[in-house]
Amino acid sequence: MASPMKGKLGKYSAISVTIFISLMLFFVPLFSAAEYSFRGSYGQGHDFTNYLWIIQQDGFLAHLLLSVELGALAGALNLILMVPTITMLHLTHQRFRPIVDLICILPLMIPVVSLAIGAEVSMPSFLQNSQYELVFFFVILALPFTYRVLDTSFGSIPLKTLVEASRSLGASWLSTILRIILPGAKGGITAALFLSFALAIGEFTITQLLHWDTFPVWTVNASQQNILGAIALSVFSFIFAVVLLGVIAFTSSSRSKKEIVVEEGA
Amino acid sequence: MKIEKTVGSALEISGLSRSFGAVIALDQFTISIQPGELIALLGPSGCGKTTALRIVAGLEKADRGSVHINGEDLLSKPANNRDIGMVFQSYSLFPNMTVAENISYGLRVRRMKSDLIKKRVIDMLDLVELPHKINSYPHQLSGGQQQRVALARALAIEPRVLLLDEPLSALDAQVRSQIRDEIRRIQIESGTTTLFVTHDQEEAMAIADRVGVMQHGRLEQLDTPNNLYNKPATPFVASFVGITNSIPAVAESSTQVVILNQSIDIAEHSVAINAGDHVSALVRPEWVSLEKSAGVSLEKSAGESRVITKSFLGPMTRIGVDVGLKELVYAELSSKEARNYDTGDLVKVSIATDSVMVENV
Repeated sequence: MASPMKGKLGKYSAISVTIFISLMLFFVPLFSAAEYSFRGSYGQGHDFTNYLWIIQQDGFLAHLLLSVELGALAGALNLILMVPTITMLHLTHQRFRPIVDLICILPLMIPVVSLAIGAEVSMPSFLQNSQYELVFFFVILALPFTYRVLDTSFGSIPLKTLVEASRSLGASWLSTILRIILPGAKGGITAALFLSFALAIGEFTITQLLHWDTFPVWTVNASQQNILGAIALSVFSFIFAVVLLGVIAFTSSSRSKKEIVVEEGA
Repeated sequence: MKIEKTVGSALEISGLSRSFGAVIALDQFTISIQPGELIALLGPSGCGKTTALRIVAGLEKADRGSVHINGEDLLSKPANNRDIGMVFQSYSLFPNMTVAENISYGLRVRRMKSDLIKKRVIDMLDLVELPHKINSYPHQLSGGQQQRVALARALAIEPRVLLLDEPLSALDAQVRSQIRDEIRRIQIESGTTTLFVTHDQEEAMAIADRVGVMQHGRLEQLDTPNNLYNKPATPFVASFVGITNSIPAVAESSTQVVILNQSIDIAEHSVAINAGDHVSALVRPEWVSLEKSAGVSLEKSAGESRVITKSFLGPMTRIGVDVGLKELVYAELSSKEARNYDTGDLVKVSIATDSVMVENV
């Protein structure tokens, strides 16, 4: 007779093995790249030579800050666009869901070249001449991912009754979005921001096609001179994005201290 | 008691209509609620009771009609400017806020001073008897506790009218009865005019000053629970409120029908009938009398019926009798009296009432 304890152990073992394999698939390439990036000149020993080389390159900081700026703007614009849209889709405009579904899947179906050239010519000239036009492209590219993440997140909370409760208690729409919807869908919003930012900070094709010079384009150009430096750049970009998004996630999860706290038994 | 009793507001709903495509949810719905009164809207699913409530709350738009509180037009105002408290079936506490934050939410959006907010939160928690849960999160509370917090949150803003949308439906039977009594106590203590929507007639009859029975978007009858049960205004109310036998009968005249070989007067508000018409008589189980036949016989003689079911309901027992119709006729006896009857017994059935309501077949 099979004991229940044995079945439980078997289940835990299967989960452990799955997690272990997943972690290996994720971390082994990362650690390998990291290890490679710390190799010294001619592959001898380990030091920070490659990272120092990155910092010493012309335009490193300027391009990095530009990409961060564009990524932040893309993330913010994406949320400004998608949060109200998805709120309305869940509350009052369900009939528009098929249309929004289609629009949000289009960036995956349209070739990047067509998107870049087509959208470029339709943009007003003041944007065509500004690197901030990239923000709009980044938003479009991130749309399929942020839409799914936000839609799932909003679907997992009883949005309609929470909004109705908030409204009936006297809150305006803005107050309801800021105090109820955003904190309620915090996980999805952070994930959407992460996706949007990560996509923007790493986007290369459209930027290159439109002849703009952001951090990824600069990286490709710079890395042609130094292969170990290029790997160090990749690792640096990854760690930079993770740390930045970690800060965002931490900031968004820390509760406002302004909320009322009453001592128990008061 | 720390909460101050308020002078409730009068709520006037007049000619309210609302359609969803071809479906008429509300059809000229009119009701007048006195200050401090608790009215329950009762009806089957789809009768429009929740739609009426949501229109009053501003969460749904009306096609026609008006809603006034103390003479002030409500329909022109958005939901957040109506000063109406609402409690939902699904509690709808804000999951990211503690109990104190949930209760104070409506006060904070009104920019009330923080010391007044704290005092009000404590008063409300005392009222719903949950002061020890002040810093708990909704997921740390039971369903009954969550609904009490939702009630405290709705009352904290001192609403002119309190709307309760099936607030007990998600609770189990024991908690439901406890919270029901608590809602009534709190409503009486606060003096808030309250509109309570439910499909559970026991709940409506137990809690409300008056009960409005709705059907097809219209108010069929608005009356005290006692009158609703004993003096139904329409055949629908008679059949919907309480358990009712629907027994085929033949009209003897326009004022009398023959039911189970007994001639009985027709109650007022029944449908108009002529002699010879076939109708359904609506007979309460407590009006049905049983008399045990003498001796034991396997065969029914004329005028005899057989006991088929016997359901113990605590102080009362419901006995189902086969009188030769398509459906059983139910009698409700005290459990003590019902001991004399067993399934299979032959009995004589009679109806002990002065008048019955009839409806067309």
